[in-house]
Amino acid sequence: MKEFSAVGKRIPKTDAPDKVTGRATYGQDFKLPGMLHGAIRYSDHAHARILNIDTSKAEALEGVKCVVTADDVPETRFGFYKDNMPLKKDVVRSHRDEIAGVVAVNEMIARQAVKLIKIEYEILPAVFNVADAMAENAPLIQPNRDSNHLITNTYNHGDVEQGEAESDVVVEVTCKLPYVNHASMETCVIVAKFDHSQNLTLWSTTQIPFLLQKDLGAALGMSPKNIRILQPTIGGAFGRELDIYPYHPIAAIMAKKAQVPVRLCFSREEEFRAGPQRQPVEVTIRAGAKNNGDLTFRDVSMTLDVGAYVSWGSTTPMVMMETTASFYRVPHVRFKADCVYTNNLITGAMRGYGNPQSSFYVESAMDMLAEKLGMDPIQFRIQNANQPNTITEQGLKITSCGLEDCLKALAERAETKLEPAAQPHLKRGRGVGGTLNVGGGARIYRSDGCGATVKVDDFGHVSLITGSTEIGQGSETVLAQMVAEILSVPVDDVRVINSDTDVKMWDVGVHASRTTFIAGNAACLAAKEALGQIFETASELLGASPDSLKAENGQIIAPDGKSVSLSKVVRSRHFRSGGQMVFGQAFYDPPTELVDKDSYHGNISPAYGFGMQMADVEVDTETGQVRVLKLICAKDIGRAINPMAVEGQIEGGAQMGLGYALSEEVVIKEGKVMNPNFVDYRLFTSADMPEIENIMIESNDPEGPFGAKGIGEMGSSCVAAAVTNAIYDAVGVRLTQPPMTPERVLAALDTKAAG
Amino acid sequence: MKPFEHFAPDSVGEVLDLLQSIPKAKLIAGGTDLLLQMKQGSAQPDTVISLKNVEELRGFATRKARFRLGAGMTLRGITRSPELKKHFPGLVYAASVVASEQIRSLATVGGNICNASPSADLIPPLLALDAVAHIVSRDGQRDIPLADFFKGPGKTILKSGEILLSLFLPQPSGNMFYSKHAPRQFMDLAVVGVAVRLQKNQGMVREARVALGAVGPTPLRAKKTEALLTGKTLTPKLMLEAGEMAADECSPIDDIRGSAWYRKRMIKIHVRRNLEALL
Repeated sequence: MKEFSAVGKRIPKTDAPDKVTGRATYGQDFKLPGMLHGAIRYSDHAHARILNIDTSKAEALEGVKCVVTADDVPETRFGFYKDNMPLKKDVVRSHRDEIAGVVAVNEMIARQAVKLIKIEYEILPAVFNVADAMAENAPLIQPNRDSNHLITNTYNHGDVEQGEAESDVVVEVTCKLPYVNHASMETCVIVAKFDHSQNLTLWSTTQIPFLLQKDLGAALGMSPKNIRILQPTIGGAFGRELDIYPYHPIAAIMAKKAQVPVRLCFSREEEFRAGPQRQPVEVTIRAGAKNNGDLTFRDVSMTLDVGAYVSWGSTTPMVMMETTASFYRVPHVRFKADCVYTNNLITGAMRGYGNPQSSFYVESAMDMLAEKLGMDPIQFRIQNANQPNTITEQGLKITSCGLEDCLKALAERAETKLEPAAQPHLKRGRGVGGTLNVGGGARIYRSDGCGATVKVDDFGHVSLITGSTEIGQGSETVLAQMVAEILSVPVDDVRVINSDTDVKMWDVGVHASRTTFIAGNAACLAAKEALGQIFETASELLGASPDSLKAENGQIIAPDGKSVSLSKVVRSRHFRSGGQMVFGQAFYDPPTELVDKDSYHGNISPAYGFGMQMADVEVDTETGQVRVLKLICAKDIGRAINPMAVEGQIEGGAQMGLGYALSEEVVIKEGKVMNPNFVDYRLFTSADMPEIENIMIESNDPEGPFGAKGIGEMGSSCVAAAVTNAIYDAVGVRLTQPPMTPERVLAALDTKAAG
Repeated sequence: MKPFEHFAPDSVGEVLDLLQSIPKAKLIAGGTDLLLQMKQGSAQPDTVISLKNVEELRGFATRKARFRLGAGMTLRGITRSPELKKHFPGLVYAASVVASEQIRSLATVGGNICNASPSADLIPPLLALDAVAHIVSRDGQRDIPLADFFKGPGKTILKSGEILLSLFLPQPSGNMFYSKHAPRQFMDLAVVGVAVRLQKNQGMVREARVALGAVGPTPLRAKKTEALLTGKTLTPKLMLEAGEMAADECSPIDDIRGSAWYRKRMIKIHVRRNLEALL
């Protein structure tokens, strides 16, 4: 195999020094001359009719510039189902509903002023769970619909009845997956500014700059071509910013009325209240296998509470059906998901996008089957593992596939048995869980592409202008590594420009573990085009054909050993009569298809990533406390462009996954968040983290850039499954409701003891 | 947060003068509780008096067979004091499991007490150590057993114009052990906190203190449990009974940090475990 100079190297993230020394300008640091500050007034009720809004006291407060309400904007609607509006006029449908906003000289006064807005309501009956929302005579949440039922997603392959008839063992389990919050270090922030010609510029932490242009245009009743979006350094997003939310247009409405730039920045409480959450799910899975260990069928039905407005949470069944239908080889599968409106929180995209939920129920059922069969859980999975170069019943074209290698690596580690705990009330156990994740985007729009341009200047400095967005995942570093590899320059000589919709080429957004793969392929194609131009000119200088040249350490070398520096080639091409620049461009759209809108069959991603984790836990049987002693993560990543960055993604994902497994839950009561802070919303801290061992399986994907596949999400997806299986191994109780808090574990132990 | 006036006097005298002229002023030491309340709007003082520059609030010293702990001592200061480590290792442990190092370098023992949170980590150990609150005002001073200091969540017996200057701790007799039950190792509030001190003579318990946190409106002494233990030799059966009795004596509520049943169970387990540790 060719020796690489930049790809495959452990390089600290190029943006890390500025971030850790406080030099990076995050959205929250961003200031403009004359900028004022906004604050939003939310609903006081989960469902109510607005009778009157009195803003006079707020307007009279010293330091207040203006107050905005729905009266300040044309009546527009946005969202997939056009069910949301920037500011609510007649009815509020949840505690997150925005009613008014204040612009003031500082945030403190703005927040004080929103409390002075007097709103009279007529309280309407509200529903806070799927069953109540679906009951006959339930209050209708969205007025233009016949019921609160939004949509049913169904998927089928094979014949589940036949599968069940062929089964020697059948298991069934019902799981309840919670709301969790992205808990990014940086809360949502936006600065909006109108110029004299009514062009809008936004500085936003969005993950979808180009889609946001379009959505905002619709929400504001203006043309997207007059909207420019700039992205400052983003302090984490994890899917939170994958959609338009009312605060985006509200900032623009405020800036328009105030006629100065306006900044809107969420408090942590607002982040919990108004931001999206991971989709909660109540799901029942039935699954079967033959005595020889072959899987026979899966039958899954679930309900999803999507809140009062539809965002991405409602599409997570698409991903859950993929795990259900295609993770391991299952001949007969039936899947049904019902999405329902309630007066609860809104649900959106979050790292894993349905996979943390589906991995939990699928892998719980896998362990239950293995136990009934008397098989080793890892060997059982190996027997049913997906294989390279196969097409699943659903139509996923699995090319590279390291699932079996991941499982074998864990089997090898599992040969070292767990040491027994030191005290009798402590019990130890071990469990595995896995995930199938898209490894290079997901075609949910007609284009899943990304544009890139590569320019090389007279000094040999390289700019990669990419449509993709950096949200802390390390894309700037790995993209620079790929371009540096192709052009044979040091990684430090490549700068990645990615923060301006007026400059960068179109990209669908940062999601679906796609940036390394899609933006990487685009960057490589653009770099290759630039290299072709360099070879073209160098061939004149060196007197050798372009095909015979090679680039090495910033030099272009001819077969006879003569060489010329890359920068000299660029200057020679540039400073001559009829000169030209070195400028490569590409748009990469992967060879995938939109799934069929009724059957949901189709190949959504150009590659699929597989991951398995093995957790060793210790359960205190007197308190229910679970400590994770060790987590081994075996991941099929195609190829590590930067092993250090891969480790960062896996370990960061493990932290998020452990929180989902053991400690994190957004608790709501009648639609209101009870723990909108980091005291009672318990993130897993560094002190709680176990030892992590990373095993990178390099399956070398044929379509991926340098063989790489996406790794952004799968680190978090299968942790909860591994932990619940480990708890079962330790104490013989099956926990079906994350987070598996000490109280829940102890209650389960009590139930078991009571027989 | 709304604007407020800020004073930073240098002496207790000045603090008391300010309190007399502005009775509604709030005192701020580390600010780790008050500032949060102000940001959330649950406290909106017009005046805040900082105690940071007040020398008399600081320090730890021995005086006539008892110890004086300045109310302004930070939790980090407690964890770094060799003298406290020597005489009151259980108290030092309790200080070390509060929140994070950053919070501990600001938060003070006086603040932890006067904030009167039922789950405050320092209070059960101080109750078990028979701490006495030394209170001063313009009218004089009074010493109150810490056990009588709390009236309810966030409520103490401090009257307008009074401040907690220091704590007196008698020479400890026997060992004291504190255990905190919380899902996370750090950055967490106690679901329950249990402090047990035993003075033993030839295996027999001569004096027992069992103090419980986060299982009632105030931290409390489990006096029936103390009586059960006094005069007896610790046996597995007795330790189990003591745990059960302590669980009966407390009155936790269901809240977001734990259900009542779970808190009672944890009291039972931790009282027994602390007794085993003191065996």
